[in-house]
Amino acid sequence: MKDKLYGVLAPVKKYGLFVAIGILALLPMVVSKTYILGLLCRVLMYATLAGSLNVINGYSGQMCIGHAGFFCIGSYVEAILATRMGISFWVLLPLAGAAAALMGLFVALPTLKMRGVYLAIITLGFSEIIRLLALNWTDVTGGAMGIKNIPVPRLGGIEFSNARTYYYIFLAIAVLFLFITRRVIRSRLGRAWMSIREDQLAARSLGVNTPAYKAVNFMYGAFWAGIIGAAYAPYARFIDSTIYTLDEGFNILSMVIVGGMGTLTGPLAGSVVINVLTELLRPIGQWRMVAYGVLIIVMMWFRPQGLIGASDSVLAGRDIKMKKSGEGAK
Amino acid sequence: MEYLLNQLVNGICQGAIYAMMAIGYSVVVGVVGMVTFTHGEVIMIGAFAAYYAFEMAGNHILLGIIFSFSAAWLVGVCVYKICYEQFFNAPRNISMLCTIGFSMVVKNLAQIVFGPNQKPMLNIVDNKIYKLGVVQISTVQIVVVITVVVSATVLSFFFNKTRWGIRLRAVSQDKTAAYMVGVNVKRTAMVGNCVGCALAGVSGMLLSIYYQTLQATMGGSLGMKAFSSSVLGGLTDIRFSALGGLCLGVIETLGITVSSASFRDIFAFIFLILMLLIRPEGFASKKGARP
Repeated sequence: MKDKLYGVLAPVKKYGLFVAIGILALLPMVVSKTYILGLLCRVLMYATLAGSLNVINGYSGQMCIGHAGFFCIGSYVEAILATRMGISFWVLLPLAGAAAALMGLFVALPTLKMRGVYLAIITLGFSEIIRLLALNWTDVTGGAMGIKNIPVPRLGGIEFSNARTYYYIFLAIAVLFLFITRRVIRSRLGRAWMSIREDQLAARSLGVNTPAYKAVNFMYGAFWAGIIGAAYAPYARFIDSTIYTLDEGFNILSMVIVGGMGTLTGPLAGSVVINVLTELLRPIGQWRMVAYGVLIIVMMWFRPQGLIGASDSVLAGRDIKMKKSGEGAK
Repeated sequence: MEYLLNQLVNGICQGAIYAMMAIGYSVVVGVVGMVTFTHGEVIMIGAFAAYYAFEMAGNHILLGIIFSFSAAWLVGVCVYKICYEQFFNAPRNISMLCTIGFSMVVKNLAQIVFGPNQKPMLNIVDNKIYKLGVVQISTVQIVVVITVVVSATVLSFFFNKTRWGIRLRAVSQDKTAAYMVGVNVKRTAMVGNCVGCALAGVSGMLLSIYYQTLQATMGGSLGMKAFSSSVLGGLTDIRFSALGGLCLGVIETLGITVSSASFRDIFAFIFLILMLLIRPEGFASKKGARP
């Protein structure tokens, strides 16, 4: 029965991805409301952002809770270089990613040999420091005034100046991110990350160079956060330091948790859920962040592996413990 | 030189408050064995409890201490019930994320209930300035330092001489062994968590009196500072955590003197990184249970 079902589902599995991308690519032609398109842009942007955090938190089991810092670096690198020197958006995209990755290495280095908590608090502090620098280093970042009139990207004759066209940039980045990350996760690198997550000591004793892999993991996550930051700056046309607060970092984190850590599609689902929820909860205003907090607690109580996560992962926590003790009783 | 000496006095006073936060933090981490991210929010709740106590019932600092202590104690019970009790056997990151969620809830609820703007603290202490040679000391500073020293002494007595304190220390050293000799581990862990939180609440009150302002969003960076200070003691040792708080206060105040006040939070971060590079396990060489 199961084989038969799989036989029916196989083509769906094979082509489903392409069909999904096709549908997503055609969406702007069908949807006419700018409001909905803006929401779709947000969903795609946060899907990539949460995905990049998920590479750190979910796949290698480290704890980064200040992801907004990398996002901020990407945005500011793009905005400053584009407004001051007029460098093209397409050059700046990887450049901003590289800058964020470099910063990721810098953050990860002092904590490589330590446990998650130190890393978590250092990323938290780092994110706040980056924001304070952006706020106070007025000559470069514009301080509290922010940076205005960031030039929109052009490609050929197309000007990406509204949500309808910008949607394709976010879509391209999201697809590229998912594709590359999928390849990376299936490679030696990804397996090393997951072995670190499941048991660092065992991984080490099997010859995995854990500090190096953890550093690379952090840089990889930061790289994509930088890229999405660089893509966000021309979309908003205006950035200032109030966008990149700790709450933003927690917002990204809650998407990863709700969707499911350690799965590729989890952050995507988390992004959809949280962003749609944000729109639905807009009438209650300030209570929104309270709702996110409650959501995180509820997820941790009842489904720590997230909506999509597998229950046999180490991330599922309680379930695996119960299973083990049950086997012991037999 | 005169200016620098005065700044040193300010730094020590600031450091005394940080020391109190750090003591609370290391009690929580030591006894419960799990890291908390709600500490900053507990500090904020303590400050607001004192503010409303002063506003409703009168200007006496003891009143503020009692109110902030008990309010923070109640929050501690909530934190324990929601974030820790279920997760003693689960991976640590689950309870950690739970505390992050809880801190989000408390912070944003506080912004709704207390309002998002800064509030001026009432003048509790009649502020005079005394001169000792070239050094100027204000009454507020004396009150702050005395409160911190007295609470630290009471805490040390509580930990070393009473039954509850010995139980707390036993749980902090080894949960399984404590369980074997008949200590109610969960209950003791809850009391420990509450004691740590209550200390944080009192330190929040002191901070708001010292700066004369309080705000619903003040918790975020304070929690980070409490953590940074207690790294000096490997997150669990109380004496070294207090020392770390003092150092942090002095470094921060002197740092502000040479740069700008807007870089205040950056010094805590630099201090933390330096500590982690020099001696990541802290200066207290305690073997056994660590988070």
